[in-house]
Amino acid sequence: MSPARAGRRAVIAGVATSDYPHLPGMSEHAVHAEAAGRALADAGLEYGDVDGFATAGFFPMYAVGVAEYLGLHPTYFDETHAGGASFEVLVEHAAYAVEAGIAEVVLVTYGSVQLSQMGRRLGTGGGGRGGMAPGPAIYDALWGNTLVGSYALAARRHMHEYKTTPEQLASVAVTMRDHAAHNPQAQYRDAITVDDVLSSRLVADPLHKLDCCVISDGGGACVVTTAERAADLRKPAVHILGGAHATTHHMNLSADADLTVSPAAQSGPLAFERAGITPAEVDVAQLYDSFTITVVLTVEDLGFCAKGEGGAFVEDGGLGLGGRLPTNTDGGGLSACHPGMRGMFLIVEAVRQLRGEAGETQVPGARLAVAHGTGGMLSTGATLVLGKEAP
Amino acid sequence: MVGDTERWFPDDMPPPAANAETAGWWEACAAHRLVVQRCTACGATRHPPGPVCPRCRVTTAEWAELPGTGTVYTFTVVRQAFLPSLAQTVPYVVAAVEPDGGGGARMVSNVVGCDPEEVSVGMEVEVVWEDMGPELALPRFRPRGRLEGDR
Repeated sequence: MSPARAGRRAVIAGVATSDYPHLPGMSEHAVHAEAAGRALADAGLEYGDVDGFATAGFFPMYAVGVAEYLGLHPTYFDETHAGGASFEVLVEHAAYAVEAGIAEVVLVTYGSVQLSQMGRRLGTGGGGRGGMAPGPAIYDALWGNTLVGSYALAARRHMHEYKTTPEQLASVAVTMRDHAAHNPQAQYRDAITVDDVLSSRLVADPLHKLDCCVISDGGGACVVTTAERAADLRKPAVHILGGAHATTHHMNLSADADLTVSPAAQSGPLAFERAGITPAEVDVAQLYDSFTITVVLTVEDLGFCAKGEGGAFVEDGGLGLGGRLPTNTDGGGLSACHPGMRGMFLIVEAVRQLRGEAGETQVPGARLAVAHGTGGMLSTGATLVLGKEAP
Repeated sequence: MVGDTERWFPDDMPPPAANAETAGWWEACAAHRLVVQRCTACGATRHPPGPVCPRCRVTTAEWAELPGTGTVYTFTVVRQAFLPSLAQTVPYVVAAVEPDGGGGARMVSNVVGCDPEEVSVGMEVEVVWEDMGPELALPRFRPRGRLEGDR
């Protein structure tokens, strides 16, 4: 990434997930710790090497609290909250920090016990008295809108404008499940068909239960440092070639917020430009799949196909191994694991693909990968372009 | 089906807390007047109401009266409630409505007074008011031109 300081180039030296998808009895902090320890071990580093720390969670001074729990006294820390896109943003920031020379080893962690804490409530989006977001959220919630409902509004409009079909949306879920079958940790592994998705109950039309991500416990971590530092570490470094993030709105559905366009339309082109590559060169993608529509919008907005052609792009195994763009090779949030802010899992799987560690879902010869997180109500987008080789 | 005379404002949902920027919208609602906030400098409309024009950043605004008709921009049929008190209400329609004269601002609301399966993108709707209390009324929308008895 540029601007780089005198040859310092950011890489990811270690990655790990915690156990998932169901961690009864574990605390959120314990999930952070499990993932952090594994990621440091993956890199061949120790806590004593860490001088930077980043994470995101749902209360202020979250990173400070997790740092305390881990016994870290970092001189660089970051808790930028972009919902599900947070971890792509945090890794982008960490890359700038190490390239600027203000940090040497930045540990980025995520942990959640959403499933154990909240149960399997699908379609959550508010919490009742005292649990509702203040401000503009009230202008949705008073009329009974839900999180799933918000994505459903986007899906309906996309179907209206571009003739996208429920079958095309369903095919995203089918492909993710195909990939999950190869992931022993995945929450759901039994194959499903387009008909299975369409015959699962409607949660908020046009989104069915199987158009929605699973609800899980879990977390992950990665270690960002310089290529120089990583040269003699345990695993081959994965290069952070470019990153960018954007936001267009929070809850507002006014004309400024086109529900058929996500912030990926801004972050994607910027990230590719900074990386010096084009979308056509990407070998494997890890795209936030909170809902099937999220993926359709993202492949369009990142430039893998034209606006409105996302439905045709994803159908018939377009996102499968050997397809147009192998995507979410771990099974994604739709089948493998979604603890609330899934962005870290995208980074971990992208790194594994570029290292050739992805097992049965390895994309042969993968050299360039994209991890793209989406947060809020299509409110934030953050793109990371990762490479096997130095730029 | 949710009719506009049937209360379904859930007891476990907090009432809106109006402030200086938003009170005008809620007061108009209480008087059964549909309004939208309009920047007095550039004329851009915005909803939800807020302290500053997102286009020109001027802080002065006025409440533009709307005729109460509009068009469904997009909608969903919520079939799984997120509050226990809405469990008896599902399925209900949540829609983003573009009110006529609203300058492109959209309001999240409900389409009531018809079967959810009848709702479509582009459907013409008109406001109906539901009194929630002496100082609070919510605008919902129904298909345009329905007779009172058709709900």
